[in-house]
Amino acid sequence: MIKIADKPLLRSLVIFSAFLTAGGICAYLLAPLLIPIILSFALYALFGPLSGYLQRKGFNNSASALLVLLLLVLISIIGISVLFPMLAEQLLILQTKMPKLWESLTVLSDQIRLLLTNYGIKFDTSTITKPVMNMSSEWSKDAVFKVSNLLIDMSVTVVLVPLFTFFLIRDYKQLRNQALDLLPNSSFELGWLIYYRVTKKLEIYIRGIMLQSGIMAIVVSVGFYLTGLESPILLGTIAGLLNLIPYIGPLLAMVPPIIIALGTPVFDPMLITAAVGVIIAAQIIDNVIVVPAVIANAVNLHPITVIVGIIIFGNFFGFIGMIIAIPVLATSNIILTGLRKGLKKDIMA
Amino acid sequence: MDNNNKHPLWENIFRRKDDRITEICRLWSSTPLFKRIPQLYIRRLVKNMHPRFYKTNESIFTTGDIGAGAAIIKSGEINIMAGNNVLANLKAGDFFGEVSLVVDEPRTADAIASTDCELIFFLRTDLEEWVHSSPKQGAQLMANISRVLAGRLRHANDMLTEKNNSSSL
Repeated sequence: MIKIADKPLLRSLVIFSAFLTAGGICAYLLAPLLIPIILSFALYALFGPLSGYLQRKGFNNSASALLVLLLLVLISIIGISVLFPMLAEQLLILQTKMPKLWESLTVLSDQIRLLLTNYGIKFDTSTITKPVMNMSSEWSKDAVFKVSNLLIDMSVTVVLVPLFTFFLIRDYKQLRNQALDLLPNSSFELGWLIYYRVTKKLEIYIRGIMLQSGIMAIVVSVGFYLTGLESPILLGTIAGLLNLIPYIGPLLAMVPPIIIALGTPVFDPMLITAAVGVIIAAQIIDNVIVVPAVIANAVNLHPITVIVGIIIFGNFFGFIGMIIAIPVLATSNIILTGLRKGLKKDIMA
Repeated sequence: MDNNNKHPLWENIFRRKDDRITEICRLWSSTPLFKRIPQLYIRRLVKNMHPRFYKTNESIFTTGDIGAGAAIIKSGEINIMAGNNVLANLKAGDFFGEVSLVVDEPRTADAIASTDCELIFFLRTDLEEWVHSSPKQGAQLMANISRVLAGRLRHANDMLTEKNNSSSL
């Protein structure tokens, strides 16, 4: 019979599976609140330093948490009153222009097909355009309904997130200490060590990716506005959100502006070039300046692991799954490695 | 003395309820780690430290463990050992493991409780959070840690020199 205690890898896998199961059960039970909780932790990572700064200036824990809460409420009010109507307006404009846009795309695809036929190449472009057009027309039909549903969800989130963040900033460290102090003496230091490594990596990653996403949204919005592309803020916001997904996100972010640039009533190669140029320029800024400065080495995962992880998480949990894939994988990697090393040493001793 | 016989009428209501924290503060303040750091700051830090209780002969850590921080003995005694040799016997008020406050290095000896004891752990996480909230005092603590480590290094050098001299004679 295999003795689990003598096999560090097996033992660490058993403990890790127990962690994973407990995490899964918690996620299942908290499913309706999962998005506000994830967002609150992200905001805690983002605004934690501000709370620390306020405490250095003499504010106590509760006062600093309250000031951060007020700031979050202010940001939410500005977001709801300025950004939401602007995005909704641009979405509605885009929706009314959709039929014309698809018409232009159909004409363009026919022209390409004719051009290819002249060169003796038989290629039915409708095999590509039809599914995209069907999907998009379905989407455009439901867009207003979906956006209104999204706004209701967002309203709940907008109320809950600042509240959760306030309590996290005020009580998180105390609750964490109480939870980790429950560990038995034999694994007390190992537990704290794994916690320390996980939070260090996650803090850098979350702060970095949110900052990176914000920078991308601004750069792309300004770029599209200057090039004269339709709905620049909406497209910039989409690009910023998609940038939360490493490797795959930036590629997906290229699709909507190119479709809009291709679908203009008069074919404008300059607009297409400019749209692609803005995205490439944003990616260069991102990869040369932002990534090395804010998230370099935040997670030591192989690109293939990242891509496969994103696809699997995306398949199971949708867009949110694609965003949380990297933090979950990085955390699992640190926990498993830490457990394996710690337990291996136990046996050697 | 039986605590159950205490009468609330005769209790000193002016005594601070957090006597325990005051006692731990006093223990840490008397170590070179907290030299020139005001009590107020030490108190703030001590509130987040981690008390642990060990039974006689229970292992606190073993050689090769990656340490998460330092600890001070509040009560009881512990032995620092290399194999079967007792390198030091530490008593209440003594501290150990300060190297782990600054680096991810493995422990270089075993620590075993020689009596039932209570240790107060000061972890690297606590130190980093404290440095962020009180940078000036954090810098002083870092300087103190450096002095303690330099002192330990000098002591080890002296012992080695003495050992070499005696073996050459």
